[in-house]
Amino acid sequence: MFDMSPYLVLIPLLPLLASVLIAFLGPRLFRQHSHWPCILAVLTSCVLSILVLFSLGQHEVGPLKHSYYTWIPADNVIISFALQADGLTAIMLTAITFIGSLIAIYSVGYMHGDPGYARFFAEISLFIFSMTGLVLADNFLLLYAFWEGVGLCSYLLIGFWFTRPAAAAAAKKAFLVTRLGDLGFFIAILMIWTGISDTLSYDSVFQFKDNSGFMTAVCLLLFCGAVGKSAQFPLHVWLPDAMEGPTPVSALIHAATMVTAGVYLVARCTPLFIQSATAQVIVAGIGAFTALLAALIALTQNDLKRVLAYSTISQLGYMFLALGCGTLAIGAATRGDAMALVSMAVVAAIFHLYTHAFFKALLFLSAGSVMHAMGNVIDMRRFSGLRKVLPRTHWTFLCGALALAGFPLLAGFWSKDEILAAALGASLEGHPYRGIYIVLFISGVATAGLTAFYTFRAYFMTFWGEERIPPEAGHHAHESPPVMTVPLMILAAGAVFIGYVNAEPFTNWLGHFLEEHTTPLRGAGHELIPAALKYVPLASGSVMALGGIFLAWGMYVKQPGLSAHLAESVPQLYQLSLNKFYFDELYSFFIVQPIIGLAEFCRVIDLYVVDGLVDIVGEIPRLFGVLFRPIQNGLTQFYALAMALGIAVFLVAMVWRMALAP
Amino acid sequence: MNELPMLHNYLVVGAILFALGLVGFLARRNLIVMFLSAEMMLQGVSLNLVAFARYRSNLQGQAFTLFIITVAACEAGIALALILMLYRRRHSLDVTLWQDLREPTVEPTFDEEPLPPPPVEEPLPRLTPAGLEPVHGQETSHV
Amino acid sequence: MRLPSILLQIPAPGPGRSLLLILVPVALGLIAVYLLLPRPRGTRPRWGTFSAGMAILLGGWLLGRSGSGWVETVLFYALSAIAIVAGGLLITLRNPVRAALSFALVVLSTCGLFLLQAAPFLMAATIIIYAGAIVVTFLFVIMLAQQVGTSDADQRSREPFLSSLAGFVLLGAMLCMLHLTYSTDRFDALLARAKEAVEKPTLEGITNTLGTGNDFFDALHREAQHAHLAPDKTRVFEDSLSALEENWNPPSWDADKMRSALRKLYEEGVAIRNSYGNLQPPRESSFLPPGIDKKQSLELSTYSRLHSNQPSTQPLRDAQGRSVMPAENVAYLGRTLFSDYLLAVELGGTLLLVATVGAIAIAGRRPEGLR
Repeated sequence: MFDMSPYLVLIPLLPLLASVLIAFLGPRLFRQHSHWPCILAVLTSCVLSILVLFSLGQHEVGPLKHSYYTWIPADNVIISFALQADGLTAIMLTAITFIGSLIAIYSVGYMHGDPGYARFFAEISLFIFSMTGLVLADNFLLLYAFWEGVGLCSYLLIGFWFTRPAAAAAAKKAFLVTRLGDLGFFIAILMIWTGISDTLSYDSVFQFKDNSGFMTAVCLLLFCGAVGKSAQFPLHVWLPDAMEGPTPVSALIHAATMVTAGVYLVARCTPLFIQSATAQVIVAGIGAFTALLAALIALTQNDLKRVLAYSTISQLGYMFLALGCGTLAIGAATRGDAMALVSMAVVAAIFHLYTHAFFKALLFLSAGSVMHAMGNVIDMRRFSGLRKVLPRTHWTFLCGALALAGFPLLAGFWSKDEILAAALGASLEGHPYRGIYIVLFISGVATAGLTAFYTFRAYFMTFWGEERIPPEAGHHAHESPPVMTVPLMILAAGAVFIGYVNAEPFTNWLGHFLEEHTTPLRGAGHELIPAALKYVPLASGSVMALGGIFLAWGMYVKQPGLSAHLAESVPQLYQLSLNKFYFDELYSFFIVQPIIGLAEFCRVIDLYVVDGLVDIVGEIPRLFGVLFRPIQNGLTQFYALAMALGIAVFLVAMVWRMALAP
Repeated sequence: MNELPMLHNYLVVGAILFALGLVGFLARRNLIVMFLSAEMMLQGVSLNLVAFARYRSNLQGQAFTLFIITVAACEAGIALALILMLYRRRHSLDVTLWQDLREPTVEPTFDEEPLPPPPVEEPLPRLTPAGLEPVHGQETSHV
Repeated sequence: MRLPSILLQIPAPGPGRSLLLILVPVALGLIAVYLLLPRPRGTRPRWGTFSAGMAILLGGWLLGRSGSGWVETVLFYALSAIAIVAGGLLITLRNPVRAALSFALVVLSTCGLFLLQAAPFLMAATIIIYAGAIVVTFLFVIMLAQQVGTSDADQRSREPFLSSLAGFVLLGAMLCMLHLTYSTDRFDALLARAKEAVEKPTLEGITNTLGTGNDFFDALHREAQHAHLAPDKTRVFEDSLSALEENWNPPSWDADKMRSALRKLYEEGVAIRNSYGNLQPPRESSFLPPGIDKKQSLELSTYSRLHSNQPSTQPLRDAQGRSVMPAENVAYLGRTLFSDYLLAVELGGTLLLVATVGAIAIAGRRPEGLR
């Protein structure tokens, strides 16, 4: 194949051009055809991404790189617009552009008739530009720029219906909360700049070898950015509220691509992270904790999209759990073993990211289809038994739910298995903090069961039971048009079969691809886990999945009253879970209210002190005026008297000086 | 004789006349008396000039004084015309009545101290009529 | 030129040596006027009159003696007193008619003073115009604006204290300034010391009288700056003063030389004493703007001079030192007016015309016809 390096820029550039075109010409010229530039651009980027994939496959030497423009040529700090494509980037590019194009096609049907039609597609294209730029960037500064770009697009798209106060508030919340994470990320970039490398490019940074507290600090701050963007504890509060945006947006940004930027960041910085075992254990710990927390909350949610949002948070936690398992500081084992674990961990995370993108996007789009049919009602308590009303949506949702739950042989099954295997590998002898990793492994297994349960709870509540349609549905309560169902079916096929790109017994293509073409992982990998424990993750995962599905069937189909009964018997736990563990209220009390108080205080100072000072300065001439005004009393003799007194004073002074002079 | 003390004395008299005129202008409320005081100020100045003319033995001071007289005459003419007009408006020669050019927020100045009652003049003495009253005749003609 | 002996007698310095003493009659006058100004509470003007009398007497006593004949002195004092008393009456009398009449008295006494200063034409002109025309016109207007008795306005005065304060503070400042400018007390004292030193026989006596330091000479230098009218004489004075000063510390001349030098100094000092306080700058002055020929600027024409060779910036004095004024006052005044002040005369005429027209225009309107 030919060399794709010079053409790397086209992948982000085409969606950008489409965005600009739609933004300027859409509202007047294209109108309801505004989707064409977007879809064409994203499809072209998809084709180009696949070409990049193949080109890498043929390339013998290193990743594809091209520098386009020198951005900051300052003495020894030379930062340029340079794009690179190695294995990790290529995998992510295909996922982003493929799913992005499917969602764009879906949106043609979903957003039909919306007054902001052109704006939607302009923002979607802008988002694709930012996301592809993010994964293609060659240095940290460019990465940070695109990082902010996806944050901006997320804000724009969550607040798409900005006239609704809830949507505007949710957009603001998302932006501000991710900003906190971005702050940590930026501090990390500054520390890298001062402590490691002047040019901030990946090549120079990843050569650095250090295992002091500095490296831990840098890694934790980088992880801070990932926590913000990928909605991990404690910055997870924005993702459920982000469901105020249109469903395609939720699917694209908050399931498949943007929230995976954090995972991409940590995966990209693997050479840094693996040098600090402390940072890795924190990463894994937060990931596992978030997974469990989100799963617990999702158990009781009544809003279908909220369930899926918490499920996203939970699955992202899984990815971080996997990423946090590899480290170079293994005691008794050799470096080869360490690198094998690292490779396994990173591959597991990326594999799960890939499959999660498919089935989560699928689930969201199906939920959107349900919402479309139910007249924008998404509260699961208000409809049920829809499997006859929406047959194709029902089957695609079922595929996605099975994949998410980890039903054996489907995509989620293989990727979750790999993650659990990585966690198990980290809890072996010689691994630092292995005790913690054992706990994390167990919690991961438990979370798998919870995942299956709440997913099928949602499924059964929506599609089984007696047929109930809310009155808002009106005449909408029929299957969606083909423009919406065809992407669903494509994604369903993906959800079922995509796991086989890395399913162990069949092929390890993804793993090999990543190992070969991602520099840090090169040359790793022989078997790590001893034979006795080899099938533990597989078995426990399957058991948990099937058990969860069975439990859900029992509680929501066989005996519908059981769930209510259970909820009444442990009311405090139920309330705790239903109210998201009161995180929002806690944050509001401890952080938001004090800041509002501070703002009020500043406002008072501004109004009374600053404005008061200005008013006083204005009042002083007026006071002088009031003081001097009575002098003008209209009496001629008074004026003449004033003049005479003035002259008298003046003369006296002069005579005094004359008298004293000699 | 010494010219200098002589000059000095005349200047002193001129200054005194000027100062008295100034006090009269500032203190009196009758328009006529105010104006007369102003004229007295001019007299003091004229005396000054004539003294200097004598001291320097030329007629510059006297010529200037002549022009002062001219200007004073013009001033008197016009000032009296204006005083007449003002009198016709308010029928009083009081300068305090004209305060309209004051600030809008300032109250006009009026005197509150009451004047003492004018001394009651003793009535003229009535003399007892002397002599007899003549007899008045009847009117005879009825024309 | 040998100065006449009359000039060598410096009259005894007047009691107005101290500056503060001048302010005493001023203060008394202030009290008098303040008390006499019309006020609603009618009191008999006892204290005011008394204070006024004291002020006038004290002021008269403090005036310097000029050494002219007794006729002139008596006339001067009488006319000045009448003028000042009449001025005081003008501002304190309640009845406006009486005030106008006292103004006429002021004018008459001022005219007498004019006559004493060799200005007969001005005397006549002032009497005719002021006491004749203006006072009569005022009385006409008072009668036109007649009210029964004295009005309220005449019984009160506006700010009596502040106005008399303003006027008398001004007066005090002016009198002090006049004293500082024109009184030769200090110079006289220095010359008296010099005279005293001349009469001492020995050198030690001379040095004891005049002091061993340079203060005597510095003071004389300072005083000599005040005499501008006679620059040549001042220069001569300064030269002999400098010559004396150089040989003073230590005295290198003998007693006779010193005495004759001192006598010369004394005579020259007396010569310039009479031009003391003259504020006219000398002919070679830097006040002239550039480009103007110094010899031809700021001079009166020959028509205005009494003698054709009289320099216009120097006064003319006769043998006794009195200033010379023309006896044909009217003729000379006419010559001056129509040569040097022609423009002013024409403008004055125009001004009179304009004033006449204006007065008629203003006073000729009737209230009904006002627009």
